[in-house]
Amino acid sequence: MARKQRGATAHGSSKTADNGDGGHAEHFSLLLESSDDEAPEEVTFEDSKTQALRSMKDALDTVRREKEQLKEKRRRRQELFQEQKKRRLLPADVLEEIDSSSFAKKQKPSDDKAEEQQQEEDDEEEEERGKTQKKRSGKLAHARNLKGNYTVATVKERSSATFQQQVAQDFIQSRLYGPGSCRTTNNELLSLQNKKGRNQSAAVQFVKKDWASKERAKAEKMKKRWIHKQQVHSC
Amino acid sequence: MGEFTVHRVRFFDYMPSAIRAMAFNPRTERLAVARADGAVEIFNFADNYFQEKVIPGRDGGTVEALCWVGPRLFGAGLNGAITEYDLENLRPRYSVEAYGGPIWTVSGDSAGTMLAVGCEDGTVKMFEILDETIRFQRNLERQKGRIISLSWQPSGALIAAGMIDMIRIFNAETGRATHRLLVERGAGASKSREVVVWSVVFLSDHTIVSGDSAGKVQFWDGHTGTLVRTHLVTKWDVLALAVSQDESSVVAGTSESIVVQFQFISSTVGRQDNEWVRTRTFKNHSHDVRALVHTETAVVSGGMDTQLVVRPLLDKVEKNTQESSLRKIAFPHRSLVCCAKKAGLLLFQFPEHLELWRLGESEGHGRAGDSLPVKRKPEKLIHLKRKGDDHIRCSAVSPCGGWLVYATVSGVRLYRIQHDNNNIGVTKVSKLPKSLCSAHQLCFSSDSSKLFAASGLSSVVVVALNPLECKHLHTLRPKSGSRQPVHLLCVSDDGKWLASANTDCEVHVYNLKKMKLHCKVPVYSSCPTAIGINPVTSNLVTVHADQQVFEFSLQQKEYTEWSRRLQQRGLHPVWLQRDTPVAHITFNPRNPAHIVLHDVFMLCIIDQSLPLPEARTPLLNQMMLRSLPEAERSRQSHAFKICKSFQHLLSMTLLDDQSLVAVERPLLDIVSQLPAPVRQKKFAT
Repeated sequence: MARKQRGATAHGSSKTADNGDGGHAEHFSLLLESSDDEAPEEVTFEDSKTQALRSMKDALDTVRREKEQLKEKRRRRQELFQEQKKRRLLPADVLEEIDSSSFAKKQKPSDDKAEEQQQEEDDEEEEERGKTQKKRSGKLAHARNLKGNYTVATVKERSSATFQQQVAQDFIQSRLYGPGSCRTTNNELLSLQNKKGRNQSAAVQFVKKDWASKERAKAEKMKKRWIHKQQVHSC
Repeated sequence: MGEFTVHRVRFFDYMPSAIRAMAFNPRTERLAVARADGAVEIFNFADNYFQEKVIPGRDGGTVEALCWVGPRLFGAGLNGAITEYDLENLRPRYSVEAYGGPIWTVSGDSAGTMLAVGCEDGTVKMFEILDETIRFQRNLERQKGRIISLSWQPSGALIAAGMIDMIRIFNAETGRATHRLLVERGAGASKSREVVVWSVVFLSDHTIVSGDSAGKVQFWDGHTGTLVRTHLVTKWDVLALAVSQDESSVVAGTSESIVVQFQFISSTVGRQDNEWVRTRTFKNHSHDVRALVHTETAVVSGGMDTQLVVRPLLDKVEKNTQESSLRKIAFPHRSLVCCAKKAGLLLFQFPEHLELWRLGESEGHGRAGDSLPVKRKPEKLIHLKRKGDDHIRCSAVSPCGGWLVYATVSGVRLYRIQHDNNNIGVTKVSKLPKSLCSAHQLCFSSDSSKLFAASGLSSVVVVALNPLECKHLHTLRPKSGSRQPVHLLCVSDDGKWLASANTDCEVHVYNLKKMKLHCKVPVYSSCPTAIGINPVTSNLVTVHADQQVFEFSLQQKEYTEWSRRLQQRGLHPVWLQRDTPVAHITFNPRNPAHIVLHDVFMLCIIDQSLPLPEARTPLLNQMMLRSLPEAERSRQSHAFKICKSFQHLLSMTLLDDQSLVAVERPLLDIVSQLPAPVRQKKFAT
């Protein structure tokens, strides 16, 4: 019995049931009932057999249906993506024309990348594509396009020494010019000198015509704009 | 005096770099100044504060501290290396990595055998000074936090180290920290801000003087480690301290741009109990004072406003002498501008790049003093960035405008410039002779066919230039065997003579036809600041740092009659009192008796045909002469004709078309670009 039970549990999959092996099915149902403490209901062998067969068939059907549904869904998705891709790409003839040029090559990876974001939830079928994409992004981005304007250069190593130097410089900067250092501007300093000096004169920005020429030009522009605005309003 | 059309050039955006550190060698009377861009300058205080040598900086090579050990100069910076400078070839001799992170301070002991450096990682590292190099010896006990300042006790047994919030005293023998002096933080809101001991000085009587970021100058007893006296000097930082040689006076430089002096004197007359008393306050800067030196007679200060100020202590010098006047050195004593006389081009030298400008043109004629309308504006033709990390040391453009050359510590680069109408092309001359590997000074012959480069051992390399190739012709060597670098080169217009001057005060004249030394001008005690060869008479005119003028005949190999007369009569006292050296000499080919020279504050034409001025008559008599009648005028006029209408003059050249090019750099333009000063409340403003 124990050996049989083991066999039943081992073969208790839909595949074995598909063969229509009655004995096994019987054991199966018996096994189910044995767990009950109550006295067994009186069920004829034929009845139980058909019932078991039906339930098995139902289960099989649902599995198949689900599979088909999933397939359908994926197909629809795939179509959608292809359509989107087509929409985003240039017309086919144009594409063909510039296919050989590096521009198209350059565009492609960025396209793929955009797609990748949308395909995030996808699996299985798309997995293959994903793998290739990953492989592509795993390589250096410019590895293939060395013919163009690219040059290969190693990133300048910022060793710990330069980092420490930067920290030290920042320390001086923050101690002398950082918050709480109470600094003013050169303009103010010179203007004060002008004010207190023996021959007094106006603040530097008025004395020296080329002081802060950029700011001056900007202010002039703003002034013109404002005047123009006023005129428009009054009209 | 003659009338000239003047190109008044104000588009040279020369920006000096802030002074970061200074060291004075009392034995040789040389002051070393380190700038923020890493350049190191040597000033000769025995020779009118003349800027003898400049060692250009390099990228990332800031110098935080300088130290003389005998005649040797050491510097260290935030790049973590100690550098010894080669003062003969004007380059770093070697760099030794200290392996302690950025170095904040360097201090040598009085015996000249040890060098202590303070590092970012909290170690004081001791280096043994050997003949050719320095060698790491040991670390003192490691502390938490960076070592900002260091000072040896003159006996060499103890070292004081300024840190954050405290001062440590180390025993130099054992390397153990013996005392910890806690420095109080500032009052009020700055209580939470840790205080940085920017500078510390250890005196021989075991007094320690410290200056910190809370604005205090404190005097400590080094035996017991107790605070003796606190002087609150400023609301900002005390950045630098310096002590006089006899240790009777200490000066402190602050962010507030003042320098405060403390003297070890008795507060009441006739008593013996000396103490440190605040005595004088000097205000000669507009920005932070970051470096100080106390010489025997003066306080030398420098800082963010880039000027070197020598303030004599009036109780130490004789009154009303040259020595007792305040000196401000704002501009370098070498020329950063080169003018192509024939092509009307100007070359400006910056540490990072070169700029080539074409001068503007004007039309019409005006009376004297008028400003002419500009027909064509000056135009920037080339902006040439230098290659590599080293800053540009010297540069030149050929008179025809077809060649451009610059030199750094590591090499020389020559460029060919072709310009037709509006196109300009710059091509690098790839093959240079091997002898042209470094140059202290560069100069083209007047026909642009030869390049002269001053090289090591005062030698001059002559290179022939033509569009196809550059060939080494000859190396001219002086017989004196001087090892000092050449700082002036000058070639005569006819291409026959070449004169070179080095910092040993020697002037050599070479005959370029025979390619050999012609003669050596008798050595004068002061360094020549400008030399020029008269194109007509072939007389060599030299002007020295003490303002003396000599004229030497190359044909006769002796001083000319005029020069002898000038020496017998003596120069006018007003001329001798000027405090900037003559930077350049040119001649007017139309009038060979005229010598045109300039310094930062004036343009002078010396007319050799006129009588020399008497000491009693005014030197500046141009305005007076104008008001006199003709007969009287010729009786009153003398040889020195001085024009002061151009100020902060960096260069003055006479072009071939008889127009003067004056390159000015007003100080106000420099001040307006400096970093921010501290905010000071002025009464009634």
